[in-house]
Amino acid sequence: MSRGWVHCRVGSFDLEATWSIEPGEVLVLFGPSGAGKTTTLRAIAGLLQPQRGHIEVGNRVVYDSDSGLSLPTHRRRVGYLTQSYNLFPHLNVSKNIGYGLRNWTSSAAGERVRQLIEVLRLDGLEQRRPWELSGGQQQRVALGRALAPNPEVLLLDEPFASLDMELRRIFRRELWSTLAESNVPVLLVTHDREEALALADSIQVIDEGKLLAQGNPLDVLGQPGQERVANLVGVENLFPLTIESRNPRNGTMVCAGRGLRIEVPLDASVPNSSPEDRSETPASGIGHVTVGIRASDIIISTQEILGSTARNRLQGVVTHVELAPPGYEVTLDCGQPLRCQITGAALEELKIRPGMDLWAVFKASSCFLVQDAPLVARRHIAGRP
Amino acid sequence: MALVTGRRLISQPTPGAGLGGAATLLYVVFIGLPIGALLFKAAQQESFFSSLISGPALTAMRLSLVTSAISMLVIVLVGTPFAYLLARSRSPLLRLVDALVELPLVMPPVVAGVAMLMAFGRRGVLGAPLEDLGITLPFTTAAVILAQIFVASPFFVRSAKVGFQSVATDHEDISRTLGVSPWSTFLRVTLPLAAPSLLTGLALSWARAVSEFGATIMFAGNLTGKTQTMPLAIMSAMETSLDTALVLSVLLILGSLAVLGALGILARRHWQAEA
Repeated sequence: MSRGWVHCRVGSFDLEATWSIEPGEVLVLFGPSGAGKTTTLRAIAGLLQPQRGHIEVGNRVVYDSDSGLSLPTHRRRVGYLTQSYNLFPHLNVSKNIGYGLRNWTSSAAGERVRQLIEVLRLDGLEQRRPWELSGGQQQRVALGRALAPNPEVLLLDEPFASLDMELRRIFRRELWSTLAESNVPVLLVTHDREEALALADSIQVIDEGKLLAQGNPLDVLGQPGQERVANLVGVENLFPLTIESRNPRNGTMVCAGRGLRIEVPLDASVPNSSPEDRSETPASGIGHVTVGIRASDIIISTQEILGSTARNRLQGVVTHVELAPPGYEVTLDCGQPLRCQITGAALEELKIRPGMDLWAVFKASSCFLVQDAPLVARRHIAGRP
Repeated sequence: MALVTGRRLISQPTPGAGLGGAATLLYVVFIGLPIGALLFKAAQQESFFSSLISGPALTAMRLSLVTSAISMLVIVLVGTPFAYLLARSRSPLLRLVDALVELPLVMPPVVAGVAMLMAFGRRGVLGAPLEDLGITLPFTTAAVILAQIFVASPFFVRSAKVGFQSVATDHEDISRTLGVSPWSTFLRVTLPLAAPSLLTGLALSWARAVSEFGATIMFAGNLTGKTQTMPLAIMSAMETSLDTALVLSVLLILGSLAVLGALGILARRHWQAEA
């Protein structure tokens, strides 16, 4: 396991990070480039000295600014995998994997290398040099090298960034099964939402050195409560609207603005407020809210679907159809542009073209309210040890 | 690479192809003729082999080998950590030192010899203190070695620095996360990865040390068996025995060719850049 907090200053950049990972757990650090994700990993690995902090790896304290303790990197027992892998070009596959096993007996080290080569399906490549391997093979060798000395925590810095989409999916699955076997806690840095959803047990969204949100990846990435987080995680539809009417019995309210009118959950963003506070809108008191809807939560139909439980049925004209792997993104003009994710098959079947009149259908519960201020971060940092 | 090769398959007209061809021919003749003439004249000497093992030639050869070997040892031992520091440090003071390293490269060797006399000569800055200690440097074999180090070390330091710079600090970082101490990391990762550059620098440095003339004759003089290295012996022999001069010249050319060959092999052994 690993936990701790650090405050790092690199030039004018300030980073406040805090984390806690249990054995077998994957914590994803999600954020744009320059958010401080790599800095956090480097601080844990001891490759960068924080200004202040407390870092535990395994059951040992490896850094503590109060007592002046700072173990050098080679005594911290961290596994570190970077996006360029940095395999040693003067060593073959076996020797790269066995590099960190110098204090092991040669038979134990040989056994460990053989075992990893088998798990990572590198059989037959033992004598190859790094430049004779494909990108995916290099990635597996780097993973094997990091896992070989049984690290107490594995730090993965965008490990899939240099692979193409197809390979990414394959190796993500492989990494996941390899990690599941090893039970090592993992801190994974990424700015890929799909990757975060596939691998994370829990997630932290950070930006400009500050923690914006944390929790279950589906909640944080699926229905982010703050506008900045929603932008970072790529929520396709964000609408500034005004509350028109509230319907506490249904638990919904109707919001409208610029030709768009939708029904959204009443309490989506004020979970801790008392019932009488509910009349207050989250962003401000004057009834303005920002509503988010994921493109993948919207159903498109050529006719109006009547007699369904979905509370929102919007009619609109197709303005754009764009390739958005794994499918397509269709933009409907429903007063405001509404972006919908559909599959290639659906696009063919409904023969969707710009200029077509279509219906968009989604549940009230697919909508979520987004607030502007990063309250979570402040609360969290104030409460650190 | 495939693209580049593909492009090369289509032969494009090169501007001024005729001019380039003529210039190449002129250059090859200009460089090749004297070397060819030297080899030709040397082959015509009846007493080539007796000159080879004649006293003065053999003595000069031995002195050149011994002094250059000691110079290289000192250059490697001091130059390697120095070059590593230059490659890794960002301090402004070291930037200045870095620039100074290049100075002996552009300085006339004779001036280097005069400068060394001004420092270590009997009337030099350190002359009196050294004399008190019973140490006399000018016109000794030690002076030959110092002169060689002065003029030849920049070749090694510069090349080694570039070599160390080419080793990504990421490799060193990864090594340390794998439980390997900074010292072991240097020996197991940095040094092997920089080795081709270090060896290239060493070869260039050795070639420069062996051919050293100006600084040596100023600071160490031209004493047979003591400070007369091969280039000095060639100059002396030109007045008395052309045979000896030619045989020493041929040997130095062969040495240069060996260095060139070694450099070619090293260039091919450079670790390929990672994808």
